[in-house]
Amino acid sequence: MLRIKGGRVYDPEAGIDGQVRDICIRDGKIVESVEGAAELDASGMIVFPGGVDVHTHVAGGSINFARAMSPEDHRRAQAFIRTQVTRSGLGGYAPTTFATGYLYAAMGWTTVNEAAVPVLSARHTHEELHDIPVLDKSLLVLMANNEIFIDLIEAGEYERARDVVAWYIWAAKAYGIKAVNPGGVAAWKWGHDAKALSAPVPGYNKVTPGDIIQTLARIADELRLPHPIHLHCNNLGAPGNVATTLETMQRLEGHRAHLAHLQYHAYGGDGWDSMCSAATQVAEYFNANPHMTTDAGAVLFGDTVTITADGPWQHLLYKLTGRKWGNLDVENETGCGIVPYTYKPSNLVNAVQWAVGLELLLLIDDPWRVFLTTDHPNGACFWRYPEILQLLMSAPFRQACMEKLPAKIKQRIVLPELDREYTLLEIATITSAGPARALGLPHKGGLAVGKDADIVIYNPQDDIAHMFGHPRYVLKGGQIVVDDGEIRSTPAGREIICQPQFSPDIEQFLRPKFEDCYTMSFENYPVEMERVAEPLIHPCPSPTDT
Amino acid sequence: MGGKVTCTLGEVKNRADFIVYWGGNPAECHPRHFTKYTIMQKSRFLPRGRKDRTMVLVDIRETKSVKAADIFLQIRPGKDFELITILRALIKDQPVSDAAIEQTGLQRDAVEDFVRRMKAARFGVIFFGMGLSMTRGKHMNSAALLTLAAEMNAVTKFVAMPMRGHGNVTGADVIMRWQTGYPFGISYNRGYPRYNPGEFSTVDVLVRGDTDCAFIIGADPGATMPRPAIEHLRRIPTIVLDPHVTHTSRLARVHITTAPAGIAAPGTAYRMDEIPLPLRPAIDSPYPTDHQVVQRIHQAILAKPDWRARTAQQERQLDATN
Repeated sequence: MLRIKGGRVYDPEAGIDGQVRDICIRDGKIVESVEGAAELDASGMIVFPGGVDVHTHVAGGSINFARAMSPEDHRRAQAFIRTQVTRSGLGGYAPTTFATGYLYAAMGWTTVNEAAVPVLSARHTHEELHDIPVLDKSLLVLMANNEIFIDLIEAGEYERARDVVAWYIWAAKAYGIKAVNPGGVAAWKWGHDAKALSAPVPGYNKVTPGDIIQTLARIADELRLPHPIHLHCNNLGAPGNVATTLETMQRLEGHRAHLAHLQYHAYGGDGWDSMCSAATQVAEYFNANPHMTTDAGAVLFGDTVTITADGPWQHLLYKLTGRKWGNLDVENETGCGIVPYTYKPSNLVNAVQWAVGLELLLLIDDPWRVFLTTDHPNGACFWRYPEILQLLMSAPFRQACMEKLPAKIKQRIVLPELDREYTLLEIATITSAGPARALGLPHKGGLAVGKDADIVIYNPQDDIAHMFGHPRYVLKGGQIVVDDGEIRSTPAGREIICQPQFSPDIEQFLRPKFEDCYTMSFENYPVEMERVAEPLIHPCPSPTDT
Repeated sequence: MGGKVTCTLGEVKNRADFIVYWGGNPAECHPRHFTKYTIMQKSRFLPRGRKDRTMVLVDIRETKSVKAADIFLQIRPGKDFELITILRALIKDQPVSDAAIEQTGLQRDAVEDFVRRMKAARFGVIFFGMGLSMTRGKHMNSAALLTLAAEMNAVTKFVAMPMRGHGNVTGADVIMRWQTGYPFGISYNRGYPRYNPGEFSTVDVLVRGDTDCAFIIGADPGATMPRPAIEHLRRIPTIVLDPHVTHTSRLARVHITTAPAGIAAPGTAYRMDEIPLPLRPAIDSPYPTDHQVVQRIHQAILAKPDWRARTAQQERQLDATN
């Protein structure tokens, strides 16, 4: 039992905007009142709900591939020395599992969504998630290039496709559906890509990326998954891709959807030389159409490693940079590409990317629909989030940063014209309340009675980045995990899993397909429940038909 | 150079019409590889199976795998790096002298035919074994071969994969990476992981005599390591966990017999393509599993006074009580 006394509370969902309130905690939950509880004096401090990351890459085959490829970064990374409380590890752009938990927690983030997992290696991802302490976790499975699924769309067998998707989600013990470059990764298996939404995917007669997107969006809705289709659009990173993004958003009308790392999908121009921001167009459409949420996928200058299921894009990035290239195509399901990358302020393309991430966050009016991410580690590492918060809260700081960019940048971006500054309540929305609502986690993202007691408490400071990077206290499930920059305890987080309903007959359909295209036996494929640490199962109601 | 362009074995089964084994002898070392994953399988894209696939074997001598190959390229020992470099030049249409080609032990016709076939493939794969990665040039050979595969993607789809074996060595590699960032050769001496193969690899630590205790699970360094390493193992308390009595057990102070994983103990094994497979025991064993033994040792260590660094908060509490 604990009473957090006298803090200035920011709870966007409850509409509390800096009023002084006490928060009472019992058994890991926020309650109305507690008698005789210990008190935590938060007078003068700022009280936020714990951060929720809607899109990050922290566990599984792809980040572990990136770790293997980054010994030179590990060597200079922050070292976590073992103590009686913490295990050892390394930070850097591909942090190790224990360090991932400590770094997120030390910044006040308590829930993360691992956004891209092949079902074939989901068992591995769960093992890694088990080794990430403190945080609650969920994962999304990659479905948009699954050949069994695409074949069903090609054959017009919608009902069966829905059952197959539900089966896969449960087999992976996942939380929802991720779609990456729909059709493009399947085409990459032969070295091709899928760039147009309405042209058949290479290797298929009829089915187009647009069909895959619409089908998956409908399936996520009908299976009544708490989180809608989580989409990485086609043509990521390409100049002029705004056309594809707008067309994708139009095709999603009538469905719920979450568009991942929108920054990478909001470019104008027709080549690297003419690439410019198209954030205004994207934000205008987005503001007018409330069926979608998005996350920024913002970029910060510096070294990082790019990780995505978008294999063809990574091959292009390898050719552009001449740096290391990792590629892992996964049978029947997806791919994965890894290229280390340095975003430079002197590089006009990188400068545009930096501006676009911020522009989207500033131009999209509703903080409940755009969330803070860097698509970790793609745009920057998650532990640099406080730097972005400073850019959002201070227009003069943004202007000062822009002065370091090449003069030519001015004609290519709109950021210099934007003087919006985020309020603390808006920051609490884009870092916690908004992503929790988009993920369908009613027990997260707020400080009302009944919520999980995941709480972060800041000492107000003029240096915004420093304040957000160094909370005074962080509580997870009511337990103090960070006290003045020090990890004090490391409770195991929970894994949040979704159980959608499907016809049991689907296994008879899948079994022979499996024998054809997989190299693992059907019985060994689904992740056993006992392999998931601390599961929290969300049962979905019966599917609806639209 | 750097990185790895690869895939899971099912991709090879489904798509690879051009399969190269380089410096390996799968017929004897990975006997199920041909039938389960590579040349013998039929798939929707390769419906005639073996007839739709071409297999090339590159090695320094005739092994039992030659019989399975369509083309055998016998190269001079220690010339792998040279041949890979020549191939990288030829796929980019750069000139290569006859003399350079001949020193690999091959004729120009054979090399150019190889290049033509690589380029004509729809999906090519190169599996490489210890004949490449553990001979002259070592990791430089592997890096060159991985680069060749990466560069081939400018022409057609191409991947490469090491032929790993020795039980669940891939699993150890995968877990060390997520916990420490590094696959092997790790030192925790400073309280956080550091990596330096050649300095912190097991064999180096043992040869230098840097360690005063050895805890060995499911490996038999006593059979394979150089004499100074083995002699050091004999000098220090060496503890072995193994289902069998091994060479290492014979020189160890303690041998604990454990249940064999996958036969009498459950768990996870990572395949050479890093896909995790669940292990289901088929029989019971009177012996404990490795996991159980390690846990009991861990519990016993926890019961001793904690010698690890205290946190600042603990220091404050100590100060307050003193």
